[in-house]
Amino acid sequence: MARDKIYLEEVFPSPFTQLWLIFRKTPVAMLGFSCFLFLIVLAIFGPFLAPYSPVEGQLDMILLPPAWHADGNVSYLLGTDELGRDMLSRLMYGTSLTFGLSFIVVIISLIIGVVIGSLSALTSGLKSSFLNHFLDVILSIPSLLLAIIIVAILGPGIDNTVWAVVLVLIPQFIHTTRYAVKEEFRKDYVLASRLDGASPFRVLYYSIFPNITDRIMGQATLAQSAAILDIATLGFLGLGAQIPLPEWGATLANGLDLFYIAPWTVYLPGLAILFAVVATNLVGEGIRHALKLRKEH
Amino acid sequence: MLIFTLRRLSLFFFTMLLLTLLSFSLNFLFPGETIINLTGAINATPSQLIEINEAYQTHRNIFWQYITYLKHIANGDLGLSMASQSSISTEIVTLLPATIELSLVALYIAMLVGIPLGFIAAIKHSKLTDNLILSISMLGYSIPVFWLGLLAILTFSISLGWFPSAGQISLLFEIKPVTGIQFIDILLSDSPYKWQAFSDATAHIILPACVIAVAPTTIFIRLARTSMIEVLDTSYIRAASAKGLTFQQIIFRHAIRNSLIKIIRHVGLQFANLITIAMVTEVIFSWPGIGRWLIESIYQRDYTAIESGLLVLSCFIFVVHILTDFIYAALNPLARGNKYGAR
Repeated sequence: MARDKIYLEEVFPSPFTQLWLIFRKTPVAMLGFSCFLFLIVLAIFGPFLAPYSPVEGQLDMILLPPAWHADGNVSYLLGTDELGRDMLSRLMYGTSLTFGLSFIVVIISLIIGVVIGSLSALTSGLKSSFLNHFLDVILSIPSLLLAIIIVAILGPGIDNTVWAVVLVLIPQFIHTTRYAVKEEFRKDYVLASRLDGASPFRVLYYSIFPNITDRIMGQATLAQSAAILDIATLGFLGLGAQIPLPEWGATLANGLDLFYIAPWTVYLPGLAILFAVVATNLVGEGIRHALKLRKEH
Repeated sequence: MLIFTLRRLSLFFFTMLLLTLLSFSLNFLFPGETIINLTGAINATPSQLIEINEAYQTHRNIFWQYITYLKHIANGDLGLSMASQSSISTEIVTLLPATIELSLVALYIAMLVGIPLGFIAAIKHSKLTDNLILSISMLGYSIPVFWLGLLAILTFSISLGWFPSAGQISLLFEIKPVTGIQFIDILLSDSPYKWQAFSDATAHIILPACVIAVAPTTIFIRLARTSMIEVLDTSYIRAASAKGLTFQQIIFRHAIRNSLIKIIRHVGLQFANLITIAMVTEVIFSWPGIGRWLIESIYQRDYTAIESGLLVLSCFIFVVHILTDFIYAALNPLARGNKYGAR
């Protein structure tokens, strides 16, 4: 006999789960997401997996082309540079410098930016207007120019680059959070919980944050691709990571003199940067696409 | 329109105040003595130092120091470059036009290529063409500009030999700088080799301008695509097609005009991005512009130059912002202010 009186519990997925359900259905976004995860794993475990040291060179193995080339050597899969350092190991170490650091940078500036942004969304009047104009000014200065100025104050080096990029990214997060929180505050469900007597911070924590997480994540992927490019550009200009460090931009700048003899020392780091940025942008596109679809339903 | 202008002017005033405050405080943050950072007078004798201190009123409090600093800027005195001991304002006046020229050409290329492509993508929405254009734009948006520049030099200058790889014009041509913008100077000059010089300068600008244009092009593709999709979805387009207008008539008479207006608004916002890319590209192509000068002054720890360069570049970007805002408001009455009931 059929048991047709089963109690079916209705489950409403949280906004974030809804987003993930839509996101999962886009193959391109999932491809980008798996590349992104791969890079994160590489950034954490790359230094343990790398076959050679990134800074010590074998002087009898100088300027070896990649393995698929006629003169290549399989034990140096992607060739070596002018000091006999293995390119594959350098790129793997570089993942934790360029990609890993950009991830950390984004998280730090996200936390600071979201805190300042949501606090400022609660203010109004002169203070709010001042902050608005201040943000406009900061956002009108090119991010790289600002990062360069900060590096000029602090002095070149990878740690100073990290702080510079953190400072440069904070205003974007403040702007996004502020805008999103203000928009949510106008909605009726927030009004309802305010009429129930919830304090602004309670409203912020329980009602608003779950609804704006996805938008902030979309901003975070934009910030991450900007951070990768900024760190690499500063490294390329010689203002970021200093000489022996295998940061992708710095490795590329290092290969410049030998560009014509050993083009792989320039191609490979550039491709690595491109791969990381494309993976990040694909995830970002996926999130924005999913947001749009969710809004339509 | 008057209120709009006043609002923009107050924003402009406020921004200038903040920017000068920022560059003034940089002097305290940079290593070394504040007054030397401010003026760049590293070789000053004690008597000159007293004069400089008097000129910048260092004995009074910080507020008056700032006011004096503003006065100096208003008179066009940005101090001396620490590296070359020449006046920074004259250096900037000779360098800034080269950057403006390069970025305007790049912006022009970006708009010329990006906007039509975006329109095509919007018309073929969700079809193969659309996806193809979007994927290419994603790739162009992600390429690191210094790498792209190097690849362009390797392919087009070294392997194919089509374009020169560095500089603004061949050293054979003697062009007297009048406006600083190379093409106008060439046309103004009375050299018998005017047209050779012109084509040489064109060959020099193509490669760097195209490299700079790649990222803005992709952004214009996206902007043009979204605004065209929005416009094609409106009821006046549906009305036009109900009246029996052909698809081409709708696109050329109604859709393009209305979607272009939305794009113009973003040109100003893209400019800051463009200048950043131009700075790096100038280094790679040895373009004698303000970006390369600024990055070189960082290598030389020329703090006076860094601080003034920041001030001038960001002022320039902000002026462009405001100008595009005005053009947008002049073209689109809806943008001139909040209407009642509009949010």
